[in-house]
Parts: sequence; structure tokens; C-alpha cells
Amino acid sequence: MSTSSLYKRILRRETHSSRSGIAITLAVLLILVFAWIGTESVIAAVGGQALLVAPADAASATLDAASAPVGVLTAAGAVVAVIGVVLIVVALAPGRRGRRAGPAGDRAAAVVDDRVIARSLARTASYAGDVDPDQVSVSVGKRQALVEVTRTSGRSADLRSIEEAVRDELDGYDYRPALRPRVVLSKKGTVGA
Amino acid sequence: MNATNRALNRLLVLVVGLVLLAAGGAVAVGALLPDVQQTVSGAASDASGPTSDALSGGQPWILWVVAVACLVLIALLVWFALRQGGGRTGTLLELSEGKGAGSPTGGHLVVDAKVAEQMLEEALSDTAGIVSVDVTAFRVKRQTVLRVTANARKGASPLDVRKAVDRAIEAWDALLGTETPVVVQINGGLRTQLSGATRLD
Repeated sequence: MSTSSLYKRILRRETHSSRSGIAITLAVLLILVFAWIGTESVIAAVGGQALLVAPADAASATLDAASAPVGVLTAAGAVVAVIGVVLIVVALAPGRRGRRAGPAGDRAAAVVDDRVIARSLARTASYAGDVDPDQVSVSVGKRQALVEVTRTSGRSADLRSIEEAVRDELDGYDYRPALRPRVVLSKKGTVGA
Repeated sequence: MNATNRALNRLLVLVVGLVLLAAGGAVAVGALLPDVQQTVSGAASDASGPTSDALSGGQPWILWVVAVACLVLIALLVWFALRQGGGRTGTLLELSEGKGAGSPTGGHLVVDAKVAEQMLEEALSDTAGIVSVDVTAFRVKRQTVLRVTANARKGASPLDVRKAVDRAIEAWDALLGTETPVVVQINGGLRTQLSGATRLD
């Protein structure tokens, strides 16, 4: 039983988006467009009254549009092109979902939400630095966990011990991609906390 | 972890994107270059007469071809949209009666995924760092994989959650008598946000 290749596949699929939302949206839009074109074609073929625009009128309107003012054509083309670029980027980007593999174990594969990591680090930092949990904010990026500490006015915050505690916690996890801690002191202070 | 064909999703988005980029780019650039614009609009006005003749009754077969093509494309897209997701299974384990000596004999055994779900949820219900647990079984690469989703309490250490889940899985393995692949998902979703912070420990 090739469990490791199985786990590798599962971890990849759990940490990256399947893009099913945008794919389904596009499919539904295309279905609507094709349904409309098909319906109009059939109606025109049997000689009925057009629903919105008869195919002949639509085709001639499109051909007439070629001689429309330059500004309008350029703007419309640019908008369509930008939408196209966005879709291409969505299709080719890795599509990370804000999760990472780990903590590793022999028995089971594991995936952790970045928000869970951030909250855990915030708690560790607030204990280590003896500051209120509200005064610590953590943001977890792809490779870096940024811990921002707002100290109480008139008191010093022990950044070194916070950094050590956060580093200790991250070392215990073995995440892939791994996280580097960065602890910074916010310029602002909190009064009376 | 479902059976969605992700390459196909990417392909559809990419193709639509390329078509839009090509069409939009051609229109925008073509309109800016006077030579191109003149040629194209001249050709378009030449073509508009025959086109409208063909579409308004002269050649009705064109309209039927368009309608059939639309129908085929719609069928393809509906199939594409409906095959998203899937891959869940209700059966965790299936053992047939043994053929050789030493294998289990006597009848056919089916273990429902619900059994694992209830056992694991029960085992993890009073863990300090976990708000709730969901267990689902999936078919991946012809194997049944159990997915344990643990919603962590605010501030809970993922490592502690992982250890608790591992202990529960160990107990479940011992009970089941065999090992199925397991993937643990530690989430901080809506339920985490609504629950209180972790108990001091």
C-alpha cells in the first residue's frame, strides 16, 4: 500500500483550491449564452418572433460595430482583455487556500488552517511577553509569521522572550512550507491596559 | 479531497480567459491602428449584406447548425458542472469471506463510515482544544480515506489538537483491527470564531 504517495496527493489537494467555484460560474454563464443563441436560432429558422434580437440583426450589428468610434472600441476591448488576463492568472496561479501540511506524523497526514496557527502563536506570544492577548496580532503569510506586539504605554515589552517562545512553538511543528517568525513592536502604545 | 477533475477546471478557466484576452486585445489594438480599423470596417460593411441574407431566411440550415452546436456545447458544460465534487463514500471497509486458510471466514463484513464518525466524535468531544469534529470518508486512488476535521478552539495549539486526534485514531485502529489511511484537518472556521478562547492550561 503506497500510503505516502496517497498522503502526498491528499495534502496537495487539501492545501490548494480546486477552482470549482469559478469554473462552475463560467460554465453556467456559457450555458446561458449558448441557450439564448440556440433558442433565437430555432425561432428564426421556423420564422417566429425573436425573443430579444434576431440572429440576422445581431450579426449585422456586430459587423457594424467595426466602424464604431475608436475610443469606445478600445475601451470595450480593453475591459474584455483585462477580464481575460484575470481568468488566465486564476487558471495558472497555484491557488493556495491558506492551509499548510503538518504537524507531520507517521499514522496520519495533517493539514492546518493558517488562522489556527496565528491564534496559537498569538496566545504563546501574549503569555511569553506578559501582554494582553488583544495587544498581539499575528498574520501568517506563505513563509513568515509576523507577530506584532502593541505594548502598554510606560511599560517595556520583552520582545526577546516573545521571539524565543514563538520560535520554540514553530520549531515543534514541522510545517511545510515552513514558517519563520518575525516579531515587531508596534509604534503605537496602548493606554491603560 | 473530492473527485473533482482539477486540471479540467483550470483548462476551462484558461480557455475562456485566452478567448476573452484575444478578442478584447484584437478589438482594442485594431481600433487604435487606423490601417487595420479601415480595412476591417470596410470588410465588415461588405460582409453585412450577404450575412443578413443568409441568416434571415435565405439559408435556414445555418440556423439549425447553430442551434445543434449550441445544444452540444450546453450538454458538455452541464456534464462539466455536474461532475464537480463527489468521491464521498458511506462505506469505510468491506471484507469478503476468506478464500485461503488463515483469512477471516464466514460471511461478508461491511463497516459503515458512520461508525468511525460516531466513535471519533465521541472520543474527541471532551478535548479542551477542540470545539467539534466532523468525520467523512472519501475514495482516493481506489482506497477509502477517512478525513477527520477538527475545529480548533481559539488559541489552541495545533500540535496538541493533532496529538489528541492521533490518540483517538490509535484507539479506533485498535477497535477496527486494521488501519485505513487518515487525513487530519485542523480548522479554524466559523464555529471557532463563535466559541470562547481556550481554557487556561
